[in-house]
Amino acid sequence: MLLIRLSLRNLLRQKRRNILLGSAMAIGVAILVVANSFSHGISDIMFNKIMRYVTGHVAIRFNERGGIMREIFRDRARVLETIKDEPVIEEADESIGMFARAIGNGRSDNIILIGVNTRKGISEKAMKEVREAFRLVEGSWKDVENASIENPVIISAEKARYLNVKRNDVVRVRFRNMFGQDQAARLTIAGIMKNDNIFMQPVVFLELAREKELLGYRPYETGSLSLKIKDPQKNAFALAGRIHERLKPGAAVIYASVSGRSGSVPAVLLGYKSDDGSKKKIAGMLKLAGGSFEKAFKKDGVFVPAGLARKLGVSAGDTIKLSYDRKFEKTPKEALLPVGAVCGSGCPGENIILMNDSGFYDLYYENMPAAPGPGVKPYAAGGAWGGLAAPEWILLKRTFNTEEYRKKYQDIARNKWKGTTIDVSTMYETASDILKLESVLNIITLSAVLVLFFIILLGVVNTLRMTIRERTREIGAVRAIGMQRAEVRNMFILETFFLTVFSSAAGIIMGFAVMRGLSLITFHPQDNPLGMLLVNSRLYFLPTFTGIAGSVLLIIAIAVVTAWFPARRGANLPPAQALRHFG
Amino acid sequence: MNIIEIRELKKEYPLGNTIVPALRGVDLEVEEGEFMSIIGPSGSGKTTLLNVIGCIDFATAGSVTVGGREITTLSDTQVTDLRLNKIGFIFQNFNLIPVLDVFENIEFPLLLMKKSGAEARKRAEKLVEEVGLKEFAAHRPAELSGGQRQRVAIARALVTNPEIVLADEPTANLDSVTGAAILELMRRMNELEKTTFVFSTHDANVLKYARRIVKIKDGLIEKEPAAA
Repeated sequence: MLLIRLSLRNLLRQKRRNILLGSAMAIGVAILVVANSFSHGISDIMFNKIMRYVTGHVAIRFNERGGIMREIFRDRARVLETIKDEPVIEEADESIGMFARAIGNGRSDNIILIGVNTRKGISEKAMKEVREAFRLVEGSWKDVENASIENPVIISAEKARYLNVKRNDVVRVRFRNMFGQDQAARLTIAGIMKNDNIFMQPVVFLELAREKELLGYRPYETGSLSLKIKDPQKNAFALAGRIHERLKPGAAVIYASVSGRSGSVPAVLLGYKSDDGSKKKIAGMLKLAGGSFEKAFKKDGVFVPAGLARKLGVSAGDTIKLSYDRKFEKTPKEALLPVGAVCGSGCPGENIILMNDSGFYDLYYENMPAAPGPGVKPYAAGGAWGGLAAPEWILLKRTFNTEEYRKKYQDIARNKWKGTTIDVSTMYETASDILKLESVLNIITLSAVLVLFFIILLGVVNTLRMTIRERTREIGAVRAIGMQRAEVRNMFILETFFLTVFSSAAGIIMGFAVMRGLSLITFHPQDNPLGMLLVNSRLYFLPTFTGIAGSVLLIIAIAVVTAWFPARRGANLPPAQALRHFG
Repeated sequence: MNIIEIRELKKEYPLGNTIVPALRGVDLEVEEGEFMSIIGPSGSGKTTLLNVIGCIDFATAGSVTVGGREITTLSDTQVTDLRLNKIGFIFQNFNLIPVLDVFENIEFPLLLMKKSGAEARKRAEKLVEEVGLKEFAAHRPAELSGGQRQRVAIARALVTNPEIVLADEPTANLDSVTGAAILELMRRMNELEKTTFVFSTHDANVLKYARRIVKIKDGLIEKEPAAA
């Protein structure tokens, strides 16, 4: 207490000098607070106001047969089941978009058609964010639900200007649907929005159900899912991990009735992996009683066990008829399959027909099979066949940063996928470069401020040296009375500490005032990518407790360390020498 | 019983390339409860002798025993503790702490000793009263006269109940009337608190207050004139 009292009172002895030094420190702190809040604001905009709408905090992405544009999963209910008991999920939206060529009045341009689900209801907070991100200057979001308008859309003002269209005008679009077929449609401009983000200018919003219809989705199918969750920084990675765990696939199996010349019997159609390695293994395991591997390995060729072939009265070269109940359709699916080979031994089961996964997945995905009926034992692939059986889908491994993520998608592009790939990712890995950008901005800011602080700290050292020089006799007196060296040193360090604390407090207040002032100024950047860094045409700052506390602690630490040396030198003066000092 | 014993004390100061001897072999013994004056002209070594006795300066050679402890062998921390607990200082220039008021200046050594707030307050209040500054307790040193400042310095020196009080020319910066009053106060405190007082002076008028006078010249003790 004594040292604190002495330090605080000594601070007030040289008011002008300390106020000048404190002001310099406060300006440094204010710059640091503003810069830190700005870079954190950029990161927040990128993640929570852009990436959140593009991918969600967590994304479950499907690509049938590895097709980047073919984002479809055939069993919507199945995937929703994996996320239904997750309390951290606030919203789960289908993320469906497509590139299209829009033809306006005399001009055409590329657009990105994005499906929005306005029917499910939206919280006030979410609505506010949408209004901030996409300000409507004409029309309303409700207009995209209007059934009396043909494909009503919301278009950006810039795109509308370029296409030379106004509200209620019709724009024709050409696009390729989910299955690679070229299609055309008419869109009606129901609203016009203003967005400072240049990258959002090609975006055109269409009601989700209509978009899905245009792309060829059936009601029980889904596009990739984007999940908005609570406290994403804390929960995103863990949630992605849990979903990934739940999405581990089993073997893809079709429970069917097979008929040949002499009758019909229940059987199981099992897909096998048709890469060269797997085919080699299968050739080693199976002993054929008829036919050839060459014929059976063809896309639609099948291996039929010898017992089953006898029951059906078929041999290699014949055709069998497959019939199975579908999960989402009332009528059964029927298919004719040529028997490529009859398997004498080594088959996975006496009623299991093996089929190349290329052909198998065509059947399986187009006509999802129903679950096995009562009394039918579900097939579980085991042993050597466990690794050879085609899975329900291919679950891609989790990645944790942008580099791994990019590499994963390069691999996807290189491989020839037969099944649907499923990828679970968070926005932190799809865009961890944004976090890097924030770190880089912080480092640049910190470096600049450290230079500033180096100059300020020269002032601290100089001031402390002057103070010690002026108070040398006083040091001698208190040492003569019985104050220990460490106490004298700490007294001077405490003075610097308090000066820094008060200056930092003033700097924080100053920083907040500057941020308030700057965020009152509106900017209207036309076609400038930097516009994406604005919210409501204003600069966006996001101060954080850890950012501010970190800056202040850093500055205090630097000041105290800097003060240590002159303080120690002052404390080490022999008392008699200090008392003899004149100055 | 001797509270201070000095044998063959030498103190030299380096001055550029030369060595200046300040004390050339001093022998001195001071008994408990003495009220002793060291006299001598300027530069004779009075302050150096007091500084060495007070452990704020160190001997070049010889031995110095204060309160039964040989101080030349002690560490800085031990010497500082000795100063705090056994010795009180009164300086010619008062050397009060300007940011503390009269009461806080007097209380200061007790707080360094980590005495409790109540104990320190009680002792400081007694001393403030004894030196007659009760009305000025809340004043800062800059608001006091020279005599009042020296009274504060005396109270501060006595507040820890030291065994020895060393005063270096305590009246040099005071007019004769105030100086006499200060010496009267010191003598009264010597009688009241039974504290050993050793003070230096080159003012002949001060000598009448001393019970023992030690004369120092050119760094050597000459002889002891008769006490008043």
